[in-house]
Amino acid sequence: MALGTKASQTVLSVRNLSVAAVDAAGARPILSDISFDIESRRVLGVIGESGSGKTVLARSIVSWLTAPLKVTAGEIMFHGRDIVTDQAYARTLAGREIAYIGGNPAGALDPTMTVGAQLVEKLSAVRPDISTRDARDKAIRLLEAVRIPSADRRFHEYPFQYSGGMMQRVMIVDALISDPALLIADNITQPLDVTIAAQILKLMRELNEEFSTAILFICSSLPVACDASDDVMVLHDGRVVEHQKPEALVAAPQHSYTKGLIAELPTLWQDGPASEPQSPTRDQQAIISVRSAAKAYYVHSRGQAGMSRVQAVRNVDFDVFPGDNFGIVGESGCGKSSLMRLLTGLERPDSGTILFKGENVGEASPRRLRELRRKFQLVLQDPYGSLPPQSSIGNILEEPLKIHRIGSRSERRDRARSVMAEVGLSDTLYEHLPTNLSAGQRQRLNVARAIILEPQLLIMDETLSALDQTEQGKLLTLFERLQAQHGFTYIFISHDLTMVRRVCSRIAVMYLGETVEVAPNDRLFFDPGHPYTRALLSAAPTLEARRYRPEECLLEGEPPSPIDLPPGCAFASRCPNVFDRCHRENPTLRARGNSALASCFLIDEHESGPIPQESHNA
Amino acid sequence: MTIIDLPSSAADQERSEARIATRIWQHAFASTEFKIGLVVFVVLLSAALLYPWLSDIDPTKMNIRAKLTPPVFMGEDWTWAHPLGTDQLGRDMLARTLVGLRYSLLIGVSTTVLMVMVGALIGLFAGYFGGWVDTVLMRLTDAQLSIPMIILAITILGVSRPTIPSIILVLGLAGWPVYARVMRSMVMAERKKEFVRGAMVLGATDLRIMFALILPLVLPPMMFVAVLDIARMMIFESVLGFLGLGVQPPTPTFGNIIADGRKYLLNAWWIATMPGIFLVVTLTSINLMGAALERARNTVYGGT
Repeated sequence: MALGTKASQTVLSVRNLSVAAVDAAGARPILSDISFDIESRRVLGVIGESGSGKTVLARSIVSWLTAPLKVTAGEIMFHGRDIVTDQAYARTLAGREIAYIGGNPAGALDPTMTVGAQLVEKLSAVRPDISTRDARDKAIRLLEAVRIPSADRRFHEYPFQYSGGMMQRVMIVDALISDPALLIADNITQPLDVTIAAQILKLMRELNEEFSTAILFICSSLPVACDASDDVMVLHDGRVVEHQKPEALVAAPQHSYTKGLIAELPTLWQDGPASEPQSPTRDQQAIISVRSAAKAYYVHSRGQAGMSRVQAVRNVDFDVFPGDNFGIVGESGCGKSSLMRLLTGLERPDSGTILFKGENVGEASPRRLRELRRKFQLVLQDPYGSLPPQSSIGNILEEPLKIHRIGSRSERRDRARSVMAEVGLSDTLYEHLPTNLSAGQRQRLNVARAIILEPQLLIMDETLSALDQTEQGKLLTLFERLQAQHGFTYIFISHDLTMVRRVCSRIAVMYLGETVEVAPNDRLFFDPGHPYTRALLSAAPTLEARRYRPEECLLEGEPPSPIDLPPGCAFASRCPNVFDRCHRENPTLRARGNSALASCFLIDEHESGPIPQESHNA
Repeated sequence: MTIIDLPSSAADQERSEARIATRIWQHAFASTEFKIGLVVFVVLLSAALLYPWLSDIDPTKMNIRAKLTPPVFMGEDWTWAHPLGTDQLGRDMLARTLVGLRYSLLIGVSTTVLMVMVGALIGLFAGYFGGWVDTVLMRLTDAQLSIPMIILAITILGVSRPTIPSIILVLGLAGWPVYARVMRSMVMAERKKEFVRGAMVLGATDLRIMFALILPLVLPPMMFVAVLDIARMMIFESVLGFLGLGVQPPTPTFGNIIADGRKYLLNAWWIATMPGIFLVVTLTSINLMGAALERARNTVYGGT
């Protein structure tokens, strides 16, 4: 350990730090007059929107500033020595005493080396005297410490075999392996799901206890920062506008910027859906009706001959009624995207049925499927990758019409212009490339492309997750208006509970490929029927008082691998209410009162027996 | 409801009213390189194509008394009748070079077009469908790659008569595997992108995705290489000419003119040099246009 003493001591002390972009035109300040201290075993959270100087702050501490950025004033004292003036000293620290974790673990790991080899290489670079065997043991021990299951086997795997959350854990190991005194975590939870992020945060805190490392936790989400840190510093326009304990910050924000930030946060518990969802009439036919759909993939597995079977989707049951906003939530890897591929007919289910207005999508002929596709459209997640490059906006919009051979050239053009107006894109953009559009504008374009065929059902696959709060709000208003005008039905596939809470009237929760609960909005949030739903709700980052505490809802266990599913309930390994029946038998969805379903044995059996499907009629 | 527009200068605004293809051409035409390349290329091409109407000098007419006349201002007995001199049989070099340019360009361009078409098509199918389609097509490609071009040419052209179409066919057949390989890897990279999945959900057929969506993205970088290959193919034709398997005399091509001139390199350097100069100038003009076009594409697409 770098620090022998148990008592906390100041590791890093920043005084009046100013950084500016210096070029021929002059100096443009990026950071001005920043001062703070971090003690060992403490977590200092830094929050601020993009462009507030968070990353520049992190980089100036690890001496990574590149031209034109330059420290113009102030000092950064690490263990009492200034690293701004003493560059030689700074170089001995980077990667050893000061570790840095970024927000893009997939980009930080070398895809051509096994994870273990990279960790050992890093360790032998900073500690040349360590033997390879010791280095390997240490790496495996740390991989276990960050709860990578069967670490000694995973040690020999390549980064692509890791999930995003696991890669981020590997990055934490990579940072901790040299026993640093200070760890800079720059936006590490941003690309992760809420539950995975919650686990990573919990892990960071525990490691903090264990390794007595000081942590500078940089983040753009206020709830996450408040959750993770002992103190929170709010950065705005390169200045520290507030520096407080998280409780005090939330309860009594001093600066107007912080106040605005807190007011803007979405809430889970206080107010329900933005507009009271009209309860769709249950006596009409469901627009989409899924019955025990299942889909498995075969993947090559290392070390074994042949292929392994991954059960991506199983026992999925739900109905979506016309005019409804239906939500599908779950952690990454729960089968949301596989289900989306089944719903859109990109793939066919192995068993079960997916009925679109009574017609089986899974068995439709390719020609019929193409016709059906006019009626249900998908809006994709990535605003950058989902638009074909080098096509003008007009061409992108006319493509669906050309595919289905609708209209003449001039009719198509008029139609494209009218949907552009509908989603709020100016007419003059028609011949433009989407290159200069922002993420929000690109998603508008994606929506326009989807609605140009006048579909009845729109499937939103994480459509809003790449956008910031304000932009999300604007698009949700747009969706609402389009729904009112055209009577669309929406399916929102998302991991964002606050968004689903605001928009959807009915919500399905997925865990390891199964729908474990289907319930109306309020019922799901205030009276969840499945313990997994409760765990998911407990992990959601909000500033509000928690209704469910993660400690009570989630046992420290790993979800089983979809390759090797246990016979009983998939959640049994993490469920606090588990009893022996759960390990033998998998519960099916059963009704719990009017229009709510959950698959758990603890639901009163006498209320009604297990029914495999939702009733069509109220 | 706010309407979104992009801030842009008046000139940009004016330009952006036009279609994207039009904008690329406008950008290209605005550059000096493109104009120079275009003028040179058009002059050369029209001279080569319109030669029979411009002059009545027969490129195959021999005049032993005027043999090995040097080009104008060179040596002693030059004459304006033969501005680029004459060869060992007294044939006019200007006429021979221009006609040779016509045949060489014909061979170079059609061979390259054939290569790119076959290669791109095979690579497109292999990369898009993958699986057994990929395996079959790529093994075929490997088999083709393993046969040395010269041996293939000697076999085919030795058995049949070396005519211009058969030479084009042989050279094209030998050249496509490289394009198939490059195309396949580019298509594989593109087809994983989300916009391809988006098009599938919209109901686009595989053929539409391949030809309307992916091909336009991967073809331009290949065309850049293809322009250089035109020159390579013109040289290859002359290699075949050396072996006696090229276009047969008396039809002049750069290949057989250079082959003839090789023997007289010391006392009549111009025979082998003139086609070389024409080759360099033609290709430079094509490359100038290609480079300007590429720059224009990058300007308009902004690096996407």
